[in-house]
Amino acid sequence: MTDRPRILVPIRVLQGESIPEGVPELLANAHVVLLGYHVVPDQTATGQAKLQFEERANKRLEKYGSILEDAGATVERRLVFTHDGQKTLDRISDKDDCLAVLVPNGTRPPADVLVAVRGTASVSRIARVVAGLFSSTSVSVTLYHVTETNETDDDIQTFFDGVRSRLTALGMDPSAIDTQIDPEAKRLGAIAAAAEEYDALVMGESDPSLATFVFGMPGEQIADRFNGPVLVVQREPPNPESS
Amino acid sequence: MADQPVGPGATGQNVAGESPAEAPRTVTDEAIVHDDETELERTIGLVGGLAIGIGTMIGAGIFVFPGLAASTAGPAASLSFAIGGGIALLVALPTAELATAMPRSGGGYYFISRSLGTAAGAVVGLGLWLGLVFASAFYLVGLGHYATAVLAEVGIALGVDPVVAIGLLFGLALTALSIGGTENTATLQNYVVGILLVVLTVFLTYGVLDAFGAFSRQRTPEVFFSQGTFPVLTTAALVFTSYLGFAQVATVAGEIKEPSRNLPRAMIGSVLVVTVFYVVTIFVATSVFGADRLGAFGETAMVEVSREFLGLPGAVAILCAGLLATFSSANASILSASRAVYALSRDALLPRRASEVNLRFGTPHVALLAAGGPILVLVATGRVELLAEVASFLHLIMYSLICVALLVLRRRNPDWYTPSYRLPGYPAVPAVGALTSAGLIAFMQPASIVVGVVVMGLSYLWYRYYASNVTLQGVL
Repeated sequence: MTDRPRILVPIRVLQGESIPEGVPELLANAHVVLLGYHVVPDQTATGQAKLQFEERANKRLEKYGSILEDAGATVERRLVFTHDGQKTLDRISDKDDCLAVLVPNGTRPPADVLVAVRGTASVSRIARVVAGLFSSTSVSVTLYHVTETNETDDDIQTFFDGVRSRLTALGMDPSAIDTQIDPEAKRLGAIAAAAEEYDALVMGESDPSLATFVFGMPGEQIADRFNGPVLVVQREPPNPESS
Repeated sequence: MADQPVGPGATGQNVAGESPAEAPRTVTDEAIVHDDETELERTIGLVGGLAIGIGTMIGAGIFVFPGLAASTAGPAASLSFAIGGGIALLVALPTAELATAMPRSGGGYYFISRSLGTAAGAVVGLGLWLGLVFASAFYLVGLGHYATAVLAEVGIALGVDPVVAIGLLFGLALTALSIGGTENTATLQNYVVGILLVVLTVFLTYGVLDAFGAFSRQRTPEVFFSQGTFPVLTTAALVFTSYLGFAQVATVAGEIKEPSRNLPRAMIGSVLVVTVFYVVTIFVATSVFGADRLGAFGETAMVEVSREFLGLPGAVAILCAGLLATFSSANASILSASRAVYALSRDALLPRRASEVNLRFGTPHVALLAAGGPILVLVATGRVELLAEVASFLHLIMYSLICVALLVLRRRNPDWYTPSYRLPGYPAVPAVGALTSAGLIAFMQPASIVVGVVVMGLSYLWYRYYASNVTLQGVL
C-alpha cells in the first residue's frame, strides 16, 4: 500500500467554515493536517484571541477531525491564531511537509477526478497524491493537459505515458486512468471549464507561493467557475531537510 | 527555526480568583507554541517593526516640539534632542537584549515583572498603559493644532479655539476605528511612515543646503546657548516624549518574526533614524528664523519654516505631513496602550475581562476603551507640555527599571535568561542608561512630577489590593 499522502486542510474555524460534503470521502486515504486558523485584526494581540477563543475553536476542530477520521483518514490537528492567513498556510504546509493543500468546496462522494498536469517537475508529487488517495478506491481519474506552444500531440502522449506509468507503479489500476487534451487556450480557464464535469480537481501549484494560489487571482478564477474541491499540489520544498 | 528562550512562568491568584495565563512551551522564529499545540503566528517583519517605532516617534519631535523647544532652549534645542536620543539609545540597547531573551508581548512591563517582581511590574505596567494614554492625548492635541492650522490656511475662521474640539473628535474617531475597523492597519502604517520619511528628507535636504548658504539667503546669526545651558536639560526632559516609540516595538515582541534579529534592529534603528531627523530639523528650523521667532509660531512652527523655503506648496506639504504624523503617532499609541492592558490582564493584574475580544470585529473593545476613554479626558485639558512630560515621566521610570532589570539578570544569570543579542559595554551602558533616564526626570516641571508620582502611587495601591498574591518573577 502507498504511503498516505499528507494533505493540508485549512479551515477558518471560527468563521463558520467546516468540512464540506464529499471531502471526507475524497480524503479517506489521506493523512490530513487539519489546520484550524483564525485571522485576528492588527489591533488584537494573537494571544488575546487565543485566551478567549481557543476552547471553542478546539471543540470545533475536534469535531471536524472526527468527521474525517470516521471516513478513514488519519488526522493531525493544528490551531493557529494569526494576523496573516497566507503566511500561516505557507508555514504549516512547509513545516508539516504537506504534498497538497485542499481548497475546501463541497462535492458529492467522488467518482471522477480531473488531474491537471503540466511540466515534469511536479509530476512525481502529483502522482503520489493521486495514487495515495485513489489507488484503493473505485475513483477514476482523468489526466488533463492544455497544449502549449511548440508541443505536438506525440509529446503530450509521451508525457501522459510517463505519468500513467508512475501512477500504476504506485498501485493505480491502469483502467481507471483516462486522458484528455485541450487545444492551446488560457490554461486556468480551460482547467476550470473542463473540471465542471468532474467531482474534484487536482492540480500543481502555479506560483512560487501556495498562498497566492489559494487566496489570490488564479484561485479565484478556479473557484468562480468550479465549485468542487481543489487539491493544489505543492512544489518540492527547496530544501528537503526543512520539514 | 531555532527555538527561542521562553521566559519564566507565573503563578498566583488575584482578588477575582483569576490566575496568570500559562506560559508557552516553545517560542520559535515564526510562532509561539503552547502546550496544547495552539500556535500564535508571528507576522511583523523588520519593516513593520521599524514602522511602529518610527511611526510612533516622528509625529511629536518634528511636528509639535520645534517651536516649543526653540523658545526655551534657543538653537541649543537641537542639543536637547541629541541628549534625548542618546538616552533613548542607552535604553534601547538593554531593551533589545531583554526582548530577545523574552520575545513576548508586553514589552518593558514583561521584562520588569519577570525580573524585579510583581510589585515593580504592576507599577510599570499600569504606568505604561497610562503613560501611553498621556502620550496619545498629547499627539491628539498636536493633531488639533495642525487641523486648526489647516482651517486657518483655507480661510475658515471659527469663533472659538477649535484645537481641543478637533483633538477630541479625532480621539473618538480613532477609538471607534480601532474597535470597528478590520482593514489592514499595519500595512497602512508602513506606507504612512514611508511617505513621511520621503517628505521630510526632501524638506530637510533643502533646509540644510539653505543653512549652509547654498541659496544665499539672509540668515539670522545666533548664539548657540542663547538661553544658557540649564534650559537645554529641561527641554531635553520635555521633548523626550519624542523618543517613546522604540519601546512600543517591544510591546508587540510576541508578534515579530525572527525576534532575535528583528527586535534589536527595529528598536535601535528607529531611535537612530528619528534622532538624526530631529536634530537636523531643529538645526534647519532655528537657522531659518532664529529661535525666538520660531518659538512664537508654537506647535505648528514647522509649517512656517516650510513656507519660508517653498512657499504655499511647502506649507501645505508640511501641514499634511503633520496631520499624518500626529495621527499615526496617536493611533500607534492607542494600540500599544491596548496591548499593555492585555499584557496586564493576561497576568491577572487587571480583570481578565479587560482583554476580552468582541465577536463581531475580533477587536479588544474593553482594552481599547480603557485607552480611548482616559485619552479623551486628557485631551480636554489641552495642555501639551504637561501631557508630554507626564508621558515621558512614566516611560522614563520604566526605562530606568529596564536597565536595572538587565543588570540584575546579567548578574544572577538564571537558566531561563539566554538572550540571543547581547548589548555592548556591559555594565556601563545599562548603568548609565538607568541613571540618565531617572536623572532626566529631575528637569521636569513640578506639576508633571506630581502627576507622575500620583499615578505610580495609585498603581501600587491597585496592585496591593487586587493582585498581591500573583507571582510573576522568575527564579533568579
